[in-house]
Amino acid sequence: MGRLLAVIERDLRKFQRNPVVAAMSVLMPILYLVILGNSFQGKLKDLPIVVIDHDSGPYSRRVIENLRAIESGQKIFSIMYLKDQKMALDGVRDGLYKAAVIIPHDFSKRVSIKKTPEIGLFVDNTDGISSEAIRNSIEGAIRSIRQEHVSIREKQDEIYLRGIDLYAKVDYYQSLVPGVVIMAIFLGTLTTGVFNLVMDRFLGIDESYLLTPLSKSHIVGGLIISGLSITTIIAALVLTVSMLMTGIPLSKGFEQCAAIFLVVTLTTLSLLSLMFVILGRVNHPRIVGILSGFLNVILFFPSGAVYPIASFPDWLKAFAKVNPEAYAVDALKAILFKGANILTILEDIAFLFIFTFAMTTIAIITFKRTL
Amino acid sequence: MQKANAIEVNNITKRFGSVTAVDSVSFNVSEGEFFGFLGPNGAGKTTLIRMLTTLLKPTSGSAIVACCDVARQPDAVRREIGVVPQAMTSDLDLTGYENMDIYGRFYGIPMKERKERISYLLEMVGLTNRANDLVAAYSGGMRRRLEIARVLVHRPRMLFLDEPTIGLDPQSRHVVWDFLRKLRDGDSITIFLTTHYMEEAEALCERVAIIDSGRIIAIGSPNELKSQIPGKDIITLAIGNLSENIINAIKGLPFVHKINIEDNIVRVYVDSGAHNLPALIDAVRSAGGNVTSATIHEQSLEDVFIHYTGKTIREEEAKKVSFLTGAGVPLKWGR
Ligand SMILES: Nc1ncnc2c1ncn2[C@@H]1O[C@H](COP(=O)(O)OP(=O)(O)OP(=O)(O)O)[C@@H](O)[C@H]1O
Ligand SMILES: [Mg+2]
Repeated sequence: MGRLLAVIERDLRKFQRNPVVAAMSVLMPILYLVILGNSFQGKLKDLPIVVIDHDSGPYSRRVIENLRAIESGQKIFSIMYLKDQKMALDGVRDGLYKAAVIIPHDFSKRVSIKKTPEIGLFVDNTDGISSEAIRNSIEGAIRSIRQEHVSIREKQDEIYLRGIDLYAKVDYYQSLVPGVVIMAIFLGTLTTGVFNLVMDRFLGIDESYLLTPLSKSHIVGGLIISGLSITTIIAALVLTVSMLMTGIPLSKGFEQCAAIFLVVTLTTLSLLSLMFVILGRVNHPRIVGILSGFLNVILFFPSGAVYPIASFPDWLKAFAKVNPEAYAVDALKAILFKGANILTILEDIAFLFIFTFAMTTIAIITFKRTL
Repeated sequence: MQKANAIEVNNITKRFGSVTAVDSVSFNVSEGEFFGFLGPNGAGKTTLIRMLTTLLKPTSGSAIVACCDVARQPDAVRREIGVVPQAMTSDLDLTGYENMDIYGRFYGIPMKERKERISYLLEMVGLTNRANDLVAAYSGGMRRRLEIARVLVHRPRMLFLDEPTIGLDPQSRHVVWDFLRKLRDGDSITIFLTTHYMEEAEALCERVAIIDSGRIIAIGSPNELKSQIPGKDIITLAIGNLSENIINAIKGLPFVHKINIEDNIVRVYVDSGAHNLPALIDAVRSAGGNVTSATIHEQSLEDVFIHYTGKTIREEEAKKVSFLTGAGVPLKWGR
C-alpha cells in the first residue's frame, strides 16, 4: 500500500510542477464546445419513431401516409407502429425511439367537424439535433392536410401540432456538454497514466524504478490512480464551466451529483486502462502523438456525443456497443437532461466497470517488468 | 579464510538479434570486494550489469547475486542491491529530497528511518543545502552524487555502478571515488563497478576483469594483471618514416621484451624506460628512423588491454554526448 502511494505521489508531484499542462487540459475541451457548437451540421437518417393511431379514421390514415412518404423518401426516420401508448412513451424514455406520434381517437371526427384537431408528439429532446429534425418533418407531414382544410374551410380548423417535450428544453449547445466532458476525460487520460510511463522510458528514467521491488500492479495501478485523480478534477472543472456557459441548471441534487461523479470516474478508469493496454510497451512520445488523434476520432465521433448513434450504419453501431465513450455519453445525457439516477443508468455503469476491470487486468499482465 | 561469494556468474550470454553483447562470461565476486569491469565502448558492460541487476533476462547461462538467481527470484535480488545505471535516472521535476524519499518508499522503509537515512546520505554526498532544489537545477556531478546516495537509502548489501564518473570533471570524480571507498571500508558493501577509465579501475578496484567484445580477456588484481605483461615500463615513440628495417632494429635490441605498432606509433616494452631510452633512440636513428617524440610511462591497465587486444581503449567524444542525453537507452519500438 505504501509503495502504491509512493508511485502515485511521484506522479502527482511531477504533474503539479507543470501547471501549463493542467491549465490546457481544462481550456481545450471548453474551446471544443465553442467550436463544435457552431460548426457541426449533418444530415440525419433512420431515427426510430413510433406511431400510435387511436383513430384509424380517414384523416389519420392520410397523416400516416404522409409520414410513410418521408420514411421512404428523405429517410429521416423509420416508423414503428404500436397500439399501447404507455409502451410507446416508455420506449421514448428508454431511448428506444426518438419520438412518439400519437393520433387521438377523435382526430378524424374533429377534422371533419372543424374542431381544432390535435396530434401529440413526444420527443426525446435530449438529443438536440435529432429532435429538431423530427419535429420539422412531422410538421411537414401534416401541413398538406392542414392546407387542404385551409383552402376548403375556415382558418381556425387547421390541425394543430401540439409538441410536448418529455424533458426540460435542451438546446443543441447544451446537448454537446456530455461530449465536451468526455473530451476532457480523453485528454486527461492521454496526458497522464501510461503517457508518463512512455516519457520515463523515453528519458531512460524507468530503469530507476524497475530496479526496485515494485510489482507490476504497483506501477500500473499507481499510474492509473494518479491519472484518475488528475482527470476527475479536470472533468469536474470542465463540466461546471460548460454547464454555466450553456445554462444547464446546476442544482441537481446530491443523488445526481453522485451519479455524475460515478460516471466520470468509471469513464476515466476505462480510458486510462484502455490506453495502458494500447500504449503499455511504447517508448517514444511521438507514437502517443500519432495514436492520440486517431483514438480521439474513433472513440469520440462514434460515441453519440455529436450525432445520434441510431443514424450510424450497422458496423459503426456495432463498434459503439464496445466503445466506452458511447456508454459514458449515454449515461451523462441521462443524468444531466433526464434527471436519471444511478439505477436508470445501471447498464452503462456495469459496462464501464467490466471494461475497466478487463483492461486493467490485461495491462498488468502485458506490462514488461524488464527493459 | 575463504570469503563467501556475493556474485557467481556462470556462462552468462546475451544476444540482441545477431549481436552477441555478452558472450559466455563467468566470474565470481566475494563478499565485501571492490570489483571492476573495464572495457571500451560497446564491450558489453551495460548489458552485463543489466542482467546481473534483473533488468534483462540472459539468453543463456545464469547468475546468482547477493542471495538468489537473478532470473528466478528477481524480486529477492532487487531488495539486496542498489544500482546506479549508466544514464541519469533521477526525476528532474522533483527535488533531491523527494527523489530519495520516494525511492525509499518503493522499498517500504518506515518514515522515521527513511528521514534519518536520507539526511545522513545527503550529508555524505555534500548535497544537504541543495536538498530542496529541483534536480533540474543540479549540475551533472551533483545529480550523479544524488543518484549514488539514492540507491543507498535501503542499505543494500551490494552496490552496482555503471560508469559512475563518466562526464564528471576530475574534481567531482575524486569526490565520488572517496565516497565509494568510504562505503566499502565503513559499511563493507560489495561494490561492482564498470568503467572505461583505467585510472578509475586502478585507483579503486581490488580485482578487475577486462572485457572486450563481450568476452573477459583477463581477470585479476591490477598488479597481477600488469605482471602478465613483459617489462615494467613502456616507451612510446612516434617515428616519421617508419619502415620494416627500423622495426627489426628495435626488435633486435636485447632489452626490448615486446613491441606493438599502431600507425606510426611504436610502443616498446622494456624493464627501465629511463635507462633504455637513449640506446633505443640511437638504434632507430642508425636504422634511418626519424623520432619525432618519445614518452616513457609505467605500465598501466591500459597496457594490459593493449597487450591482450592490440588496441587502445579510446575515450570517444561521442560518449560524452550520449551521456548527457541518456546513454545506453536503446531506442526502438517497445522493449
Ligand atoms: N537493446 C539493445 N538492442 C540491440 N543491441 C544492443 C542493445 N543493447 C546493447 N546492444 C549492443 O550490445 C553491445 C554491447 O552494448 P553495451 O551497452 O552493453 O556496451 P557498453 O560496454 O556498456 O558500452 P558503453 O561503454 O558505450 O556504455 C553493443 O554492440 C550494443 O550495440
Ligand atoms: Mg554502457
